[in-house]
Amino acid sequence: MDPRTTVAPPRDHATVSPEAKKPQQISVGGFRISTQKLPILKAEPIEEMTKNLGIAPPEMIFGDNYVTIEHPTTGWGINFNAFDALDLVDKTGQSMLQVAYSKEWQQSREKAHDGIKEVVKPFDWSYSTDYKGTLSSNARPFEETTKQIPIELLKRPDPILFFDEVVLYEDELADNGIAMLSCKIRVMPERLLLLTRFFMRLDHVLIRLRDTRVYIDFENREVIREYQSKECEYEKVRQMLAGTRDDIPALMRDANRLSELLPLIDKRSERVVLDN
Amino acid sequence: MPGIPTNIDMDECIERLYRKELLAESVIEGICAKAKELLMKEGNVVHIQAPVTVVGDIHGQFFDLLEIFRIGGFCPNTNYLFLGDYVDRGLFSVETITLLVCLKLRYPQRVHLIRGNHESRGVTQSYGFYTECARKYGNANVWHYFTDMFDFLTLSVVINDEIFCVHGGLSPSIHSIDQIKSLDRYREIPHEGPMADLVWSDPDPERDEFSLSPRGAGYTFGSQVVRKFLEVNNMSHILRAHQLCNEGYQVLFDDRLSTVWSAPNYCYRCGNLASVLEVGDKMQRYFNIFDAAPENDVHRSEQQAQQNRDSQPTIDYFL
Repeated sequence: MDPRTTVAPPRDHATVSPEAKKPQQISVGGFRISTQKLPILKAEPIEEMTKNLGIAPPEMIFGDNYVTIEHPTTGWGINFNAFDALDLVDKTGQSMLQVAYSKEWQQSREKAHDGIKEVVKPFDWSYSTDYKGTLSSNARPFEETTKQIPIELLKRPDPILFFDEVVLYEDELADNGIAMLSCKIRVMPERLLLLTRFFMRLDHVLIRLRDTRVYIDFENREVIREYQSKECEYEKVRQMLAGTRDDIPALMRDANRLSELLPLIDKRSERVVLDN
Repeated sequence: MPGIPTNIDMDECIERLYRKELLAESVIEGICAKAKELLMKEGNVVHIQAPVTVVGDIHGQFFDLLEIFRIGGFCPNTNYLFLGDYVDRGLFSVETITLLVCLKLRYPQRVHLIRGNHESRGVTQSYGFYTECARKYGNANVWHYFTDMFDFLTLSVVINDEIFCVHGGLSPSIHSIDQIKSLDRYREIPHEGPMADLVWSDPDPERDEFSLSPRGAGYTFGSQVVRKFLEVNNMSHILRAHQLCNEGYQVLFDDRLSTVWSAPNYCYRCGNLASVLEVGDKMQRYFNIFDAAPENDVHRSEQQAQQNRDSQPTIDYFL
């Protein structure tokens, strides 16, 4: 750095950034649940991640965040983190989306700057992932099942012993929409539910939701993992919402509301019962 | 224009805004009309003199804007250059842009406002400013006044003929500053062309030349582009905002380009630092780094309700 540029150290602040906290942990029914939330990565770790992933990470990258569920007596465990999720993003550019005005843009630029042909590392910059979590190395594997997550049991107002919401990454697609991967977990006395949701809205092109739910019944040591993929063209969703009197731009940011509208395109259920 | 009060007391407006009070719709209408008149007289490249404190993206984080004034000095004691992206995402875009426009009107030679990619009708409809205006005023009039005024904001500033300041970056259509001067800027930000590039493009430290973004629109620019641009225009540095950095700033290309980011704990959940860049009268550059303002904590519950993704999330029986 040029000696002309100087940097002041950050001023001491009475308030510690609310995100900077120790990992939270709880043990219930033989399972240990832990979450960690830290600030977005600094330039150096981002560089390292870029090298290891082979693609540029999203604008907001919470590389230190995680949600982990472990069953210490059997060594079974599942972890959700940004790196492993991003490692599943298409890095070839095969499933690359284009922003709504791409055609118009390409045409206008062809005349002016034909010389610039090199595309910066083509990859799926919507950061779409079908990440279902990272299993511990000696975890008993899941098997396909037709068994469903017992929604009725989850609708009961059982006390919530532990709750957290952890963002793993987020990108605003250069202001063409949003892509976000986040986890929510709630632990009740007899069961827990984790929802990891990838939400992507590419304005005027596509809306995509990919949910992974992990349900655990503590007493039976039964784990059900359910993956659902939903997507729909942007304009179709807009038309579905046209009748409502609500603020449509706000609805288009609300993954919960959109989830009710989007058609299901893929669903898989798996199950594992942990040994005694 | 009919119905616009000619006797708005700017000092009183500024006082009220420092207290985070909203101004009446009719006052906003008058202020935006006056601002248009003033901004129309500015060229696409405004030449200013150091010392000046340069501020990057704020994105409606009003408490953090006040923190900047507390750290860097209040107007008119400190000269300010804002690099754009005043609105969207934060909770107080209306208060933020109203205050900045009032300061510009009150101290036109000491406050300069560059247009960012969020100072646009299209983008503000998706990222919160439209919704905030409609919620705080009960209709979209204020949003119309502001976004019409945005069309008049300048595109770039040059400090002491040496530092080129812009929101995003360089454009393959622009080699010399004179080419910026001839752009027709009084319009919505287009999707393509030099005006779009100035507010959108990003540097890429791993490249030499311009490259296409994988998104199918937009450019990144490399080290040789920066070198050539500075050489052709006889300047030493490019100063821009537009990209989040955890440290609050980033210096690239052998100190030929700086990114300034001024929204700490961006979106109330990123935990990042922010900075302002103080350019001294001998053109020395000093990054003044700061953390989120403590007042943000007071409004944490409000922010949670809005964002619902904070560190202490609202417990819900999600399925």
